[in-house]
Amino acid sequence: MNEIEVRARWQKRKERIQHTWTLFKKSRVGLLGIAILALFSVFALVSVIPPKIDEMYAPLSGTDPDIIGFTQPSAQHPLGTDFMGRDLFSQLLEGAKWALIVGITAAATSVIIGTVVGLVSGYFGGIVDTLLQRTADILLTLPGIPIILVIAAAVGEMSIWNIIFLMGMLGWPGTSKVIRSQVLSLRTRPFIESALVSGASSSRIIFRHIAPNVLPLTFLYMTFGVTAAIGVEAALSFIGLGDPSTVSWGMMLQWCFRSGYTFNAPFWLLPPGLCITFLALSFYLIGIGTQEIINPRLRER
Amino acid sequence: MSMTRFLVRRIFEIVVTLFIIATLIFVLFRVMPGDPAAMVVNPKMTPELKEILRMRFGLDKPLWEQYVIYVNNLLHGEFGTSFYWEGDVFDILKTRIFPTILLFTTGTLLAYALGVNLGRIIAWRRGGNLEYGFTVGGLFFLTMPIFWIGLLAIWLLSYRLDVFPVGGMITPEIWSAPGGVSLLTKIADVGYHLFLPLTVYTIVIFAGNMLLMKNSMLETLKEDYIITARAKGLPEKKVRDHHAARNAMLPVVTALSLAMAFSFNGGVITETTFSWPGLGRTLVQASLSHDYPLAQGAFIMLAGVVLMAVLAADILYAYLDPRITY
Repeated sequence: MNEIEVRARWQKRKERIQHTWTLFKKSRVGLLGIAILALFSVFALVSVIPPKIDEMYAPLSGTDPDIIGFTQPSAQHPLGTDFMGRDLFSQLLEGAKWALIVGITAAATSVIIGTVVGLVSGYFGGIVDTLLQRTADILLTLPGIPIILVIAAAVGEMSIWNIIFLMGMLGWPGTSKVIRSQVLSLRTRPFIESALVSGASSSRIIFRHIAPNVLPLTFLYMTFGVTAAIGVEAALSFIGLGDPSTVSWGMMLQWCFRSGYTFNAPFWLLPPGLCITFLALSFYLIGIGTQEIINPRLRER
Repeated sequence: MSMTRFLVRRIFEIVVTLFIIATLIFVLFRVMPGDPAAMVVNPKMTPELKEILRMRFGLDKPLWEQYVIYVNNLLHGEFGTSFYWEGDVFDILKTRIFPTILLFTTGTLLAYALGVNLGRIIAWRRGGNLEYGFTVGGLFFLTMPIFWIGLLAIWLLSYRLDVFPVGGMITPEIWSAPGGVSLLTKIADVGYHLFLPLTVYTIVIFAGNMLLMKNSMLETLKEDYIITARAKGLPEKKVRDHHAARNAMLPVVTALSLAMAFSFNGGVITETTFSWPGLGRTLVQASLSHDYPLAQGAFIMLAGVVLMAVLAADILYAYLDPRITY
């Protein structure tokens, strides 16, 4: 491929992104979602700063030499300190980082699996389809939190990466169903037939010809997946199955609850819950915005 | 296909699914590193007791034989002995089924009644402040962590105002009062304890239904038969409730069985937050204390309840939509 061709391709890609963005901009909820997400991304980025200012601001290990337990907000600690004297504001910033890591990684894992399963299942049909879809049906019926609980019972303490992995492994069936039904209709379209007669292999047809057409849906399901993953991680941490070496918002609430400060530490109880709500909401709103691009019927009624 | 044949097929499917789940659980607990016996035998037990349990579960036999014994035990309701409670797992779980079903059924029914009705009303008044307010509120409820709403509710209503209990299902002093208590008092006591968990659970579940109903209603309102109904001069209320809402409800009912997993996730967390003595909280406790037999049993039991709930939703759907034939 020569340079001109490469440049033309990039130009085309740029135009396509610009076009998508023009459509997305029309959705007010979508923009609001982007704005909230941007705010939390800033939170996550600046989370590295407090420990650099002073070691007592390290979210997990730092303690103020003058403070040994819980304190109300002060000039030194804008949200106060937790039961071990750790700074709650730096924990909140650290929590933004983990929420984004957990949400995006888990959702990406599950939609990638879901898309591949959907493509394979829809394209090949037959016994492969039946086996994959029956598995999906079972996973779709069973609630995820109890599954993770029973696995946790057998495995013992889980790291945050184990939890992300499990959420990724359990979250794919929904995406796979949607992608599969898309593939079923795409498969009958003329451009697939022409790819077939020109001798393209199955994997080439699936990944080069069909996959690009279902990717917008994959992205849509990813935004909703992030909302779900953030919620599930918070719930698991709260009930005591989280990774105690990771400062997530759910973990902060668990520490607040276990140490008995639920009812007299509003600056400890409220911020993490609000953050979970708003970050989860931002991805949901971006999802609604995306949906309006994919399904024009939903635009301005 | 007739209803009976449909039911027989679905129940058969449920049994097969439960069997697959039980098999996966067997594999899960056996592939774990360490002594497989540790998964069924309480380390605190005396050597004699350990030996008896080893015999009962065939732990000295090859894996396939253990599996046969395991399945046979399950079929006889034998889930083993809880490490923590030191009692028969099935006996413990028996008492936990009703609280779960009580909370789940009342909550789901309330959430649907609330969601469908609010969705219907706000869609009818689209473009107004009412629609805007409820949509934003609904989105918040959908993304708020259920345990956090629970904590806020306990903080406000139990701790500050002291109108509701912090948790549990009964007040032991009332139930064990000398001379016995009437059934009515018992029901009132359970209702009093049920109020907060039920409210929190309903709030979280209803939001999704409301938003779905609203969207479905907005679609339906574009249909020609709605224009016809209006042109005929029918009262607005009749057009809304009889012509639009009835048809708009179908996607919401379809979502009922699909949303069951989501509802049960919420249920487990609600039970834990409010110390509600159901299957979900039992599973959480068993997981935290590594009470393997109890965790296994609670999970299989919970899966059974979920599958039955999905079946109930499917029957309801067939009942509401006469076009469905099996």
